[in-house]
Amino acid sequence: MIRKMKTTKILLTALITIVFSMTAFSQAGDRLVSSKSHIKFFSTTPAEDIEANNYTSTSTINTSNGNVVFTVPMQGFEFPKALMQRHFNNSDFLDTKQFPNARFVGKIANLDQVDFSANGTYNAQVEGEMTIKGVTKPIRENGTITVNGNSFEINSKFNLTLADYGVEFVRGKPASNIAKTVEVTFVGEYQKQ
Amino acid sequence: MKKLLKIVAILAVAGLLIGGGVGLYMFFMPHRDVQKSPTDYTLTSSELVAEYLNDFDQANQKYLSEDGNSKIIEVTGTVASITEDYNGQKVVLLKEPGQVAGVSCTFMHETNPNATALNIGQTVTIKGVIRSGVFYDPDLEMHLNAVIEKSDVVL
Repeated sequence: MIRKMKTTKILLTALITIVFSMTAFSQAGDRLVSSKSHIKFFSTTPAEDIEANNYTSTSTINTSNGNVVFTVPMQGFEFPKALMQRHFNNSDFLDTKQFPNARFVGKIANLDQVDFSANGTYNAQVEGEMTIKGVTKPIRENGTITVNGNSFEINSKFNLTLADYGVEFVRGKPASNIAKTVEVTFVGEYQKQ
Repeated sequence: MKKLLKIVAILAVAGLLIGGGVGLYMFFMPHRDVQKSPTDYTLTSSELVAEYLNDFDQANQKYLSEDGNSKIIEVTGTVASITEDYNGQKVVLLKEPGQVAGVSCTFMHETNPNATALNIGQTVTIKGVIRSGVFYDPDLEMHLNAVIEKSDVVL
């Protein structure tokens, strides 16, 4: 009786171990997590060009279903001038204290054209929802995915219209010096997790 | 009458000078020097993680400032990894074994050598400005680390 229980216990442990390692394995194969990233905001007006850089975002890509997720700590944007950074964070503009993270949740629309197991550079169309300052809008943008063994690099450049997210500069210097549409450049390096 | 005009003129010129001075100062105002500024809070990485996981909004109210010059903290924890970002700045992750999240500390070019000198597993205190807190992101399916920047090791 005791012996039988022991066998059952061993079998059960073995089963649990197998199930766990299988789940872990499938996750390991499917999920890419960014190890470093760079997001650049660029705004150009006749008055001046303004650039801000953020190295603090985190992103994942699921290579089996094409899911792409980004989260961006808004206070991680750094401007050349302290005053610009203050304006950016201010409650009149991005209100980063109330909305500390911007996010994107979407999918690679042409996943069948991206082979994560073969080295090369692939064009990717990503569509989904962008949330900035609590406002969510659908977006569809293009980028490239470069596969190099177990390392993956994503590049994308697209435009964002600030007013779409309720970010409007109506008065004063920011109104004349910040473009209505800003250019966003993203580069990220991903590793299998 | 002449005297009054004179006073008005002097006041106007003074006003212009002060206004212009303030304007120029605002325009060229340097970034806050985080390392030279006083520390607002001293705590362990586990304490900061626990505080955020307990109440994310309340922790944000406490640590984030509306103008982006958020709280300067000194965090003590175990060095879990040392990496480098796209800007060539060292990133030291303070995370206790078995914990869901930690504190990611981005150094500066001038403080990079102090990060490089650290060893994995070492207990260290790092000072920096908080940029974002810890939370579980259901879409990312992971806990995000708190982020501090402009970091340096506190000796």
